[in-house]
Amino acid sequence: MRHGVDQHAMQPGASSLTTLVRAWAPVLACLLLAVVLQMVVGPLLVSAGWDFAAKLLLDIGINVILAVSLTMVNGFTGQFSIGHAAFMAVGAYVAAGIVYYGSFRLFGSAEMAGGLLSSAPEGRQGAWLTRGDALFGLSILAGGVASAGCGYLVGLPSLRLRGDYLAIVTLGFGEIVRVLIQSQTTETLYDPEEIAKTPLWQLPKYLGGALGFSGLPFYTSLFWVWVFALLTVLVAYRIKSSTYGRAFLSIREDEIASEAMGVDTTRYKVRAFVISAFFAGCAGALFAHTVGVQLNAGELGFVKSFDIIIMVVLGGLGSISGAFLAAIILTILPELLRSVSEYRMVAYATALILMMLLRPQGLLGVREIWDKRTWRWLTGSRTRKRGGS
Amino acid sequence: MDGLAVGSLYALIALGYTMVYGILKFINFAHSDIFVLGAWMSYTVALCAGWPQGQPTHIANWVLFVLVAVGVAGGVYALVGRLRLGKIPSGAWTLLLVSGWGFSAAGLVLVARALFAADQKLVAGGVILLVSMLTCGVVGFSLERLAYKPLRKAPRLNVLITAIGVSLFLQNVGQLDWMFGTRPQGMPALLPDKVLATFGGTPGATAGSWDVQPIQVRLLDVIAGGTSIILMLALDRLVFHTKLGRAMRAVSFNERNAALMGIPVDKVISFTFVLGAMLAAAAGFLFGQKYSGLGQPAAAIWVLLGLKAFVAAVVGGIGNIRGAMLGGLLIGLAEMFVKAYQSPAVVDIYVFGILIFVLLVRPGGLLGRVGVEKV
Amino acid sequence: MSALVLEASGVCKTFGGLKAVQSFGISLAGGDLKGLIGPNGAGKTTVFNLLTGVYTPDEGKIALAGRSIAGKRPSRIAAGGMARTFQNIRLFGELSVLDNVKLACHVRVKHSMWASVLRTPGSRAEERAIEGKARGLLDLFDLADRADEQGKNLPYGDQRRLEIARALATDPKVLLLDEPAAGMNPQEKKELRDLIRRVRDEFKTAILLIEHDMGLVMEICERITVLDYGKTIAEGTPGEIQNNPRVIEAYLGVEAADAPSGASNA
Ligand SMILES: Nc1ncnc2c1ncn2[C@@H]1O[C@H](COP(=O)(O)OP(=O)(O)OP(=O)(O)O)[C@@H](O)[C@H]1O
Ligand SMILES: [Mg+2]
Repeated sequence: MRHGVDQHAMQPGASSLTTLVRAWAPVLACLLLAVVLQMVVGPLLVSAGWDFAAKLLLDIGINVILAVSLTMVNGFTGQFSIGHAAFMAVGAYVAAGIVYYGSFRLFGSAEMAGGLLSSAPEGRQGAWLTRGDALFGLSILAGGVASAGCGYLVGLPSLRLRGDYLAIVTLGFGEIVRVLIQSQTTETLYDPEEIAKTPLWQLPKYLGGALGFSGLPFYTSLFWVWVFALLTVLVAYRIKSSTYGRAFLSIREDEIASEAMGVDTTRYKVRAFVISAFFAGCAGALFAHTVGVQLNAGELGFVKSFDIIIMVVLGGLGSISGAFLAAIILTILPELLRSVSEYRMVAYATALILMMLLRPQGLLGVREIWDKRTWRWLTGSRTRKRGGS
Repeated sequence: MDGLAVGSLYALIALGYTMVYGILKFINFAHSDIFVLGAWMSYTVALCAGWPQGQPTHIANWVLFVLVAVGVAGGVYALVGRLRLGKIPSGAWTLLLVSGWGFSAAGLVLVARALFAADQKLVAGGVILLVSMLTCGVVGFSLERLAYKPLRKAPRLNVLITAIGVSLFLQNVGQLDWMFGTRPQGMPALLPDKVLATFGGTPGATAGSWDVQPIQVRLLDVIAGGTSIILMLALDRLVFHTKLGRAMRAVSFNERNAALMGIPVDKVISFTFVLGAMLAAAAGFLFGQKYSGLGQPAAAIWVLLGLKAFVAAVVGGIGNIRGAMLGGLLIGLAEMFVKAYQSPAVVDIYVFGILIFVLLVRPGGLLGRVGVEKV
Repeated sequence: MSALVLEASGVCKTFGGLKAVQSFGISLAGGDLKGLIGPNGAGKTTVFNLLTGVYTPDEGKIALAGRSIAGKRPSRIAAGGMARTFQNIRLFGELSVLDNVKLACHVRVKHSMWASVLRTPGSRAEERAIEGKARGLLDLFDLADRADEQGKNLPYGDQRRLEIARALATDPKVLLLDEPAAGMNPQEKKELRDLIRRVRDEFKTAILLIEHDMGLVMEICERITVLDYGKTIAEGTPGEIQNNPRVIEAYLGVEAADAPSGASNA
């Protein structure tokens, strides 16, 4: 056992300061980048008359969260969830309920009360973050947690079983969520006095039902979206490159061998599923408060789930950078191809089938764009064979 | 009564899921779209045959065009093969088979037309059912050959993704203008319907109360239920009492060993797909009769129906043919009870609740067994 | 002799009507090297599956380091100190050779996933230790220069050795090897023989070996158990086994066993 460790004696641990820096610098970098996007890039785009690009950046960010989080389940552990949009819906409605009714209860109205970091790029004067932002930030996390809780409830029974049951159960879960929300007959409340009167535990009854949840303040900004998008990528990357990531990938490669090597496969599958649901919930919360979105459970159905799946599959099952790139491309592409939009799904479906027939592991496979193997593959040189022959 | 009729429709669809799962061990997501196709095909054929209702769809011309193209391709391929190799390659046979099959379906459309003109509506309805079953059979066959067969050895996840791709492909192609279009249509009544008997219940009771509407026995329900039960009995005989059925079961048990025993595995698999597709088409036809509105091909309602049929298959024990029938009836009845005693909106919650409950308590389904994977 | 690490008795398993294993028993102490042989389909692999928890025994007791493990999850049993290789190789094909071994170190990892995400000092230190241990094992198994290749691209013999290396990375008390020499040439087999001995001596693990190559088994195993149709038909030293008429009968058929005389029952 100790055999190897003798030869490659552990280097003395780097000083605690450098360890601390290496642990936290990327997190700070994510924050900083998001601030720059919001305070510099956004206004620049708007002043150049490219408002649509700023809006597109929001959509891209949300899709990045969705695709990267789904790749943790479908790519890392090789399970097949096809109800990702349902987790989005859970997060969206929980966060929307908190922000909308919370604003009334706390601030007296559901007016947008955010600071510079959550305002549209043209911006206003004032503080960067306000108590409105605090409410919004907390609601995103609450949406994520609620969604993760649902992920646990859905994942536990189905992930004990063979892989394809998860597909059915997640699909069914999606429908249940949609039906539950849409079958509500009570409309959103508008009257501040009535809202103040209604007991807290009754408010979840008023989420708009089939008509959609209207009147939400538009807090979602480049800052909020990209903080979460970049953090999702960072977390996914750190998991993948850690011993836990290897455990996830081993489940996908061979569940029986993985279990024989001491990986509690059910527990890890559930874990991946819950984390993924958490981020999907956050994405939903962000989506709900985006300009021009009228939150409606009908839109967060199977088609939306499928959009996310295709990003994951095309990018490469298990590749974070692949999912990232695919999210960007597949958000921009439909905008360019608006004129032939009825063929969009046909084209996606065909692309998916062809991909499975010709390059089943997706564009990048499990590889990342910065892996050495990827470059060898791109430049066409064969894998070097060493030793022996 | 309603429950039994709907349940037997679910059972018909569930059979297709179960048979494919039994043999290839994957969920054929496209199965529910074959069902939709069956419903829309019977609508289209009914229009071609002369039923006056609704907007015509453009699919008929396209189908003919494709059939001719496939036939010509098959002919050319066969000719080339004959000249170059001295024998007709099997691919050519396949193409010719598909096209011949399609043409006989097209021929049957003309028969239906003649029957309609002669006012033999019930018989014409039967012919239409046949046409839609044949067409769906062809589609099922081609899907298996084109999309699934190359992936026979691939990991399950890939096959599952392909199945989803195929499902979306069918939905969205069906949705295109030159196919069925995006507008929901009203299905003409091809079968007679009247109330045969009424008993029990409180007239005028509303959903949600403990009083129930009187039970009506409708002719249509009897026909729908009867047809599905006849088809299921036929299938049961086929699978358990014929040589072909034995081959199917052998392949399902162990594909490689079956191949070693000289069973033509590819043919058996194709046959299974065709059979499943035809049953789904029949279900589509009957469903169209029962609920006379046809949603657009990609509507969520269809996906949901197919999904519930799949739930029925799982509840009964996936891979188990009799289990699928049982599961179908069970789900159908449960659905009707919930509709009667609670509200139609929450039906799906109960159906999936049943699924999760069964998975927790008996992961193999009611009639299924949990197999241990050989290591 | 040190205390027993693996003790099994009365273990039975039936598949449908087939009695795959009937009242099987074995005991291993640290550093033991025993063999399990028998004709094809005798139930040897099934014994491994029962010991490692892949199948649940219908009856019988199995104790690993004194604690009962019958009916536990395979991962729990692995964590308790049982490791195995597979007859039909089951590597993580898409992962690199190094990652295959590193994954197996996972069961001894102490830091939580959150520590991994936050990259705490503890998690970094442990990752480094894993890296070192994995590379050490690859050195020992002569796979170091293939560390970055994908598992599925290795030649057959290397894959078998990688499986052993991977099993060892879980720090096992008991190591179960299922036909490790299958498909190897004589030279590779000789190296494998030395390797197995070395593993036993250096790591002090108890080893149970399934092998069809009688030369190898007879040479390195101290004691051998013979299965036929799920029943244990003999148990003893290689010398005893070689002369046991029931074993000869099982391998060669009835007539062959009748011919030689004078051998005693084991
Ligand atoms: N999961 C299972 N289901 C049904 N039968 C099984 C299962 N696993 C093993 N068997 C049967 O149990 C018997 C013993 O199989 P096992 O694999 O243990 O044999 P073995 O001794 O390892 O043979 P070999 O030397 O060929 O590897 C065989 O008849 C096999 O078909
Ligand atoms: Mg064996």
